[in-house]
Amino acid sequence: MYLPRFMIERPESPEEAATLLKVRKNSHLVAGGTELFPRMKYGLCSPEIIISLKGSRVSAPQITPEGMLVLDAKMSLTAVNASPEIVEKAPLLAMAAGRVATREIRNMGTLGGNLCQETRCLYFNQKHTFQFREPCFKRGGEACYFIPKGNRCWAVFMSDLAPALFCLDASVNIVGSGGVRQIEIHELYTHDPLKPISLKPDEIITKIIIPKNEGPSGSGFAKFTMRGGMEFAGVNVGVFVETENDLRTCKEAKVAVGAVSGGPQRASAVEAFLKNKGLTDDVIHAASREIPENLKIVPHHGYSKGYLTECLKSQAKTALTDATNAIIGAT
Amino acid sequence: MFTNQKQLLELSINGESYELAAACQETLLEVLRNRLGLTGTKEGCGTGECGSCTVLLEGEPVLACLLLAVDCENKRIETIEGQSLEGIMTPVQEAFLEKGAVQCGFCTPGMVMASTALLKRNPDPGREDIMESLEGHLCRCTGYNKIMESVQHAAKSYPEKK
Amino acid sequence: MGDLDYVGKRILRKDGPEKVTGKAIYSVDIQLRGKLVGRILRSPHAHARILNIDTRRALQVPGVKAIITAKDTLGIKHGFVETPRYPADQYPLAMDKVRFVGEEVAAVAATDRYAADEALELIEVEYEVLPAVFDPEEAMLSGAPEIHPTHPKVKEGLLNIGGKTATAWGDVEAGFREADYIREDRFESHLRTHGYLEPQATVASFGSDGKLNVWTSSQGPFIKRAKLAKTLGLPQSSVRVRKAYVGGAFGGKIDLFSHEFCAALLSMKTSRPVEIIATREEIFTAYRHGQPLIVTIKTGVKKDGTIVAQQLKTINNSGAYRGSGVVVIFLAWGFTMVPYRVPNLKYDGYSVYTNNPIRTPQRGHGAPQLRFAVESQLDMIAEELGLDPMEIRLKNARNSGEMLPNGDNVHNCGLKDCLLDISKHTDFKNKYGSHKGESGRFQKGIGVGVSSYFGGSLIYPNSSSVLVKMNDDGSVTLLTGAMDIGQGAETILSQIVAEELKIPMEEIRVVAADTETTPVDIGSWISGNAYVCGNAARVAAGDVREKLKALAAEELEANAEDMVVQDKRVYVKGSPDQTLSYARLVALSIQKHRGDPIIGNGHWRTMRDEPTHPSLASTKGRWTENYAFDAQTAEVEVDTETGKVKLLKAVTAHDCGFPINPLLVEGQIDGQISMALGHAFMEEIMMEEGRTLNPSWLDYRMPSIRNMAESEHLDVITEQYRIGKPYRTKEVGEGYVSAILAAIANAIYDAVGVRLFSTPFTPEKILKGLGKIK
Repeated sequence: MYLPRFMIERPESPEEAATLLKVRKNSHLVAGGTELFPRMKYGLCSPEIIISLKGSRVSAPQITPEGMLVLDAKMSLTAVNASPEIVEKAPLLAMAAGRVATREIRNMGTLGGNLCQETRCLYFNQKHTFQFREPCFKRGGEACYFIPKGNRCWAVFMSDLAPALFCLDASVNIVGSGGVRQIEIHELYTHDPLKPISLKPDEIITKIIIPKNEGPSGSGFAKFTMRGGMEFAGVNVGVFVETENDLRTCKEAKVAVGAVSGGPQRASAVEAFLKNKGLTDDVIHAASREIPENLKIVPHHGYSKGYLTECLKSQAKTALTDATNAIIGAT
Repeated sequence: MFTNQKQLLELSINGESYELAAACQETLLEVLRNRLGLTGTKEGCGTGECGSCTVLLEGEPVLACLLLAVDCENKRIETIEGQSLEGIMTPVQEAFLEKGAVQCGFCTPGMVMASTALLKRNPDPGREDIMESLEGHLCRCTGYNKIMESVQHAAKSYPEKK
Repeated sequence: MGDLDYVGKRILRKDGPEKVTGKAIYSVDIQLRGKLVGRILRSPHAHARILNIDTRRALQVPGVKAIITAKDTLGIKHGFVETPRYPADQYPLAMDKVRFVGEEVAAVAATDRYAADEALELIEVEYEVLPAVFDPEEAMLSGAPEIHPTHPKVKEGLLNIGGKTATAWGDVEAGFREADYIREDRFESHLRTHGYLEPQATVASFGSDGKLNVWTSSQGPFIKRAKLAKTLGLPQSSVRVRKAYVGGAFGGKIDLFSHEFCAALLSMKTSRPVEIIATREEIFTAYRHGQPLIVTIKTGVKKDGTIVAQQLKTINNSGAYRGSGVVVIFLAWGFTMVPYRVPNLKYDGYSVYTNNPIRTPQRGHGAPQLRFAVESQLDMIAEELGLDPMEIRLKNARNSGEMLPNGDNVHNCGLKDCLLDISKHTDFKNKYGSHKGESGRFQKGIGVGVSSYFGGSLIYPNSSSVLVKMNDDGSVTLLTGAMDIGQGAETILSQIVAEELKIPMEEIRVVAADTETTPVDIGSWISGNAYVCGNAARVAAGDVREKLKALAAEELEANAEDMVVQDKRVYVKGSPDQTLSYARLVALSIQKHRGDPIIGNGHWRTMRDEPTHPSLASTKGRWTENYAFDAQTAEVEVDTETGKVKLLKAVTAHDCGFPINPLLVEGQIDGQISMALGHAFMEEIMMEEGRTLNPSWLDYRMPSIRNMAESEHLDVITEQYRIGKPYRTKEVGEGYVSAILAAIANAIYDAVGVRLFSTPFTPEKILKGLGKIK
């Protein structure tokens, strides 16, 4: 498989990148290339101009005087997984980064790129030279192959990092041709499978900001795959739990679920269930049974809704247990 | 529509300098195989899903099928051909041979490059480290058992400073 | 028998250094000056008439040098099977109908891939879409769309029958009447694929001398030459299929592929080399996958577990052409009747056309599917009768020297030893059933399965021949048509020659797999390399040895029977100073025997007294003298929360004859365990109306290093294979994907009480079995 022809521009600043995205017709941003280039090889998009951030200087993680962690969106996933600052201040993000794809892809792919990935569907992510030639909704057409009787797209958003950042109440710095703005991570996602990212065409993410957290807390990340590595999640769950000083009573739990709908979702029912409860095995078990409540769960990639619902409960239990054990310091 | 614009490039591969004119959309894999005759790096898919095209960029394993050649200037590139330049095999290569980890051999260059990078980074890897480094490399012949043994064996025989 | 110096040793692969340094050249690596890129136009319809093809606009694309469709061919058909009963049924390019999504309709050669793909988009094909059918049981019913006329010899009112195998012996009804317990079950094996890492790739170059040179990723060059020559209308002597390394095949690269024909024809038309490399997505969608099989099996047993009667029906989904479908239904019968004694049997197998891509052998070719059915049912029978799984198998397992219903003899059969050894080694009796009643998220279980495979039975080109050439310095060149597809063919053949001539491995150079310069070879499928080509090599080297000994005897004035060979020398037995080196003997031969440089000639085939292969339809006829046996256990861990199953440990007890190279044997076992666990848990080609949903490595999940199982193996009765002969081997390349699949199914039942009747054993099926989802 090969790439279609294109030209490259190399902006020297995010502002220049934004301007180029605005003025260059049929252009697309690329950082690591591990998400865009396969899509281009599959013929799913063919920008004529690539605005490349490859080779741009990547800032090291910074801790502000207020204790916020500021990350350059161009950090590689390997760097996110290994960074001492992230491991210390936002271990959930480091954990999630370590679960993405493979080492080679993590060496190339970026934090920002992972957050801005396209939604996925079996019928979409293949070449359409002789199969499924008629475009589906996601390819600009008028029907869906997956659920033909439906009138909407069912592609799912599968990022591992996004649920983690949901749990960490992260914010995102955006530079566009109109200026700079900052949004909360959940505002980045539309939950529309056709266009899952809310950025305007000329905007790029420059920084991810993670607020400081005080007090005892623990993180857990669970990702269900059939074979282990090199695989998108059937379902993934991020958990960030803060406790009282007794290390047992839940002050606040943040639980986010990915891969089962058009955007990451906070599992509000579980969060409500856990609040002020002691984090015993029984409570965790009961909480995990609650998780599908109020959550959208869509079948995808050969997994049925029924299966994903049950599997989600198991992943939630694993993540909650890991988070709880992290607080106590048990391994 | 525009023509097939090319850029003059100098690539450093296995310590040697190669000059060529490449189009923006040519991947490093295509340049290695089709332009420079370095066919040791393989294409098992072209979309980053099998690990056969793994090369080292500044010592880190990456997928040549998803890297643009024009993005690789001024970077140290190592391919399988550079592993035994003076005709002497590396401990990783020796281990793969001794332990019987080579059957059809198509995944072998990628496995060797990734394992070599692993041992440079972590001279004493455990099973989990080895699995994490090689989980992006598909092999249909060996079942991975002898590949795991090879890397463990190479780690033992790997000189401390290489 | 004397000591063995090379055979039976863990000798390192001859081609290892080239592969590990990246120097090995595969078909994808062949670079020829002036090479054009070829691409194939494929049908978007599962079933349609081709009304018209217009290539005029496509020919205008700059860089396009030639476009071919069926009308540019000779209209000669080919097929996996080509017999009077099952004549060839495929055109290399679709003639007037397309019968599956992805079928080859046209091919383009251009100076670069952009031009080639642009041209493909501009070829205008007018189709008349026809109704299509995808399920074999639906395809058989009246009213189904007719893909091909049903086979004229099958008069059962069924449609779309590509072929049938029917056989019976004894009296099955009487057998069932005698039985104390009968059960009937249905098992389904799903669509999975080979997953070779090197894509399908061909470079064809037609020279001004009228000769076609072809490099193609294959399992044997002779069958490719024969079929290319036939379809191109060239004499075989004009077609040379040349050596390149092969990056895996597993049954998916045997017979003629359209792209090979197209590369050759395009080269003939353009007078330039043409390269066609299939994309991974084309391989997953339009190339050949393994045979899905439906098996209905009714078995009657006595109280003590003895099988008295068995009735089987298999239905194969062969895809749009016969492919190897008519072979798999024949083999499925074979895989039933070899390991156990079945006094009364009735078998009917149907190979059914559907509008799917053509199916082909995949490692085991029916054995995994069949043994999964037989062994699962046997465990269910054992449970009902209160017998344990080992007991019931020992009761029915064949012994050495038993005659098979087809007239073959199993000769040495170590099946009982396999069962006894494996039972002891794994402490099976204590482990099996030991976890009943346990709770806890992760549940362990153990299961056993038995299988048999065979080596080297007759299929074109039916035999192997080897030449061993002496060189001036006493070293040797081994000429063999054998194709090393990763299994180590060149290495073991060298070991055999090294052993026969007592000459170091480094002094043997192998020239292989070139139809022009190397003699014919049976091909690397049907697991015949070690047995058939190995014997040919042994005979050829022996021929050289006898010539050397005779000449030495002449020179030293001794008797030829008193001469021995060692270290590249011939000695008079007991007199080490009465010796001549091989180099000296070659010189003497040239001097004294009118220039004879000493070349040894050997050939071999199985069933040397049978004129031909058995009847695929009636199963009459002898099959092979080379049956191998094995028992395998699987220890699994079931995650009762997610339904995911992990294969913790596989043990393989095998009667494979004498292992020529134990290191390579281990590699074959490990690889087959991996393929089986993929088949069991995670691999599935998902299709919908003839279209593939997951045509990528990402979504067709083959095992990664994270799924690696511990793999142990036990040889049985190997010493038997040194009696009367220095070593006698059977097969290891295909036998170990089957019993393990059944063992996994049985282990899952042992762990969590869920009995599965279809592969793959997905997490969803497990959770449904546990009642956790509806």
